[in-house]
Amino acid sequence: MGEPAEINEIKDKGLEIGAERLTEDKIEKTINSVLKGETGARLKAYVDTCIHCGLCSEACHYYLSRDNDPHFSPVGKVKQTIWEMLKKKGKVSPEFIKKASEIASTECNLCRRCAMYCPFGIDIAYMMLIVRRICHMLGVTPLYIQDTAHSHSVTMNQMWVKGDEWPDTLQWQEEEAQAEIPTLRIPLEKEGADVMYSVIGPEPKFQAQLIYQAAVIMNVAGIDWTMPASSGWDNSDMAMYTGDNEIMGRVKRAHFETAARLKVKKIVMGECGHAFRSVYDVGNRWLGWRIPPVEVVHAIEFYHDILKEGRIKISKKFETPVTLHDPCNIVRGRGLHEMSRYVTREMCEELIEMHPNREHNYCCCAGGGVINCGPPYKNKRIMSNRVKAEQLFAAKAKGAKVLIAPCHNCHSGLEDINHHYGLGLEIKFLMDILYEVMDKPE
Amino acid sequence: MPKVEYEGQTFNVDEDGFIDDFNNWNKDWVRHVKQVEGIEELTEEHWKVIEVLQDYYKKNGIAPMVRILSKVTGFKLKYIYELFPSGPGKGACKMAGLPKPTGCV
Repeated sequence: MGEPAEINEIKDKGLEIGAERLTEDKIEKTINSVLKGETGARLKAYVDTCIHCGLCSEACHYYLSRDNDPHFSPVGKVKQTIWEMLKKKGKVSPEFIKKASEIASTECNLCRRCAMYCPFGIDIAYMMLIVRRICHMLGVTPLYIQDTAHSHSVTMNQMWVKGDEWPDTLQWQEEEAQAEIPTLRIPLEKEGADVMYSVIGPEPKFQAQLIYQAAVIMNVAGIDWTMPASSGWDNSDMAMYTGDNEIMGRVKRAHFETAARLKVKKIVMGECGHAFRSVYDVGNRWLGWRIPPVEVVHAIEFYHDILKEGRIKISKKFETPVTLHDPCNIVRGRGLHEMSRYVTREMCEELIEMHPNREHNYCCCAGGGVINCGPPYKNKRIMSNRVKAEQLFAAKAKGAKVLIAPCHNCHSGLEDINHHYGLGLEIKFLMDILYEVMDKPE
Repeated sequence: MPKVEYEGQTFNVDEDGFIDDFNNWNKDWVRHVKQVEGIEELTEEHWKVIEVLQDYYKKNGIAPMVRILSKVTGFKLKYIYELFPSGPGKGACKMAGLPKPTGCV
């Protein structure tokens, strides 16, 4: 493990400038303060339990896609980062921190597939998050994702959407959708509604058609729903992935407090993975809630329920054969794989499974904040997911033409895989198909 | 940094194919992106979107919301996606010489 994995020419101003500002004294103090103040028994148990067997390696898409290079095995990433910090009691160089930040932020999607293959169930994603936390405290984070964390901090949403632009976008999509369904409303600030619908920043910023489609589904299904008119509407949380737990907590609190202010019974969220993790696992716990203070229902559960209850009828099933990607935060993290299959089978004539699937599915290599680290790492991301391309080619050979990816980051990451490896699949959200095949009023 | 060549001109790009610097943008870049994005014909409407994006970017340092793009150009959302099939944040920003937007995109 002495030599670097490859000659690395990646230039990232966030890492370069951050590392230039460091002193060895500051590094030592910061590492030890995080280890002492924030980790405790969990990290110690993981470090002491690992027997270096390497069984986690075969679980990792980076390792498999990079010709079994041990630097890309989960345990290899631990060895190059947190173990060195522990072993040297925080006495590491600025150059080491720069490399550790790059490994933790761009060579691990925190997908937790490896935790299932570890005989002790060690959660390596947790250890990578500790590395990210240390790098955040030292100000050495990739530039693009840091910009997103800054946006969360300033605006409480991830894409610098300003106060007036949000309700304006909702009213615009309401108006466009009224051309299709004249009675359609996007009810803003409706106190006591059953459902608050929340989305992630890219939807109002660029993909407003997703808000349009959601409004059609809510209206046809007869849901008593609302959306907030001010901040608190964005359920996403990239600060969770930069290690900025303070901002993560503020963003989560704003989201839950908005639901509480509107006195809704539950929050329904769109097709996003990391935002789901941030509300059911990470952000809520940081704030001291073991479970979310307001029930949060993922889009997959919501579609499942409205289809099962017959609130939405399918007029004609989607004919093109589909295959279904299982996002880590929704499936491995939260077990919604049978629900997503129910929804898919209700909507589509033919579902062709990719293998492995469900909780064993290969990651998109975009999640965990990796795609958010931006263009400097795109090639690495694609080269590190050849196994996904192979898995999808096999599904395509069985006839799949459409790939359903019910998560924003999976969606974008798989687009890149699709394009680079020439898969020729069409990638859709569940909602795209539901909107297309559902019965709508004439 | 990767380079692309178009009709004898060389542009520096990032790994997503966005131009390295807004100031290096020119009309040949637009024709290069047209090819990459598989857009059949450049119309006045494409140029209008480019102009609005650049104008907003010069004033604000980021890409506008698609709502603002729609308001200023008068184009509906669907039409913007017809002009730029990979969307306003990817194809249109790339063509206008803006950096890749940050966030889950």
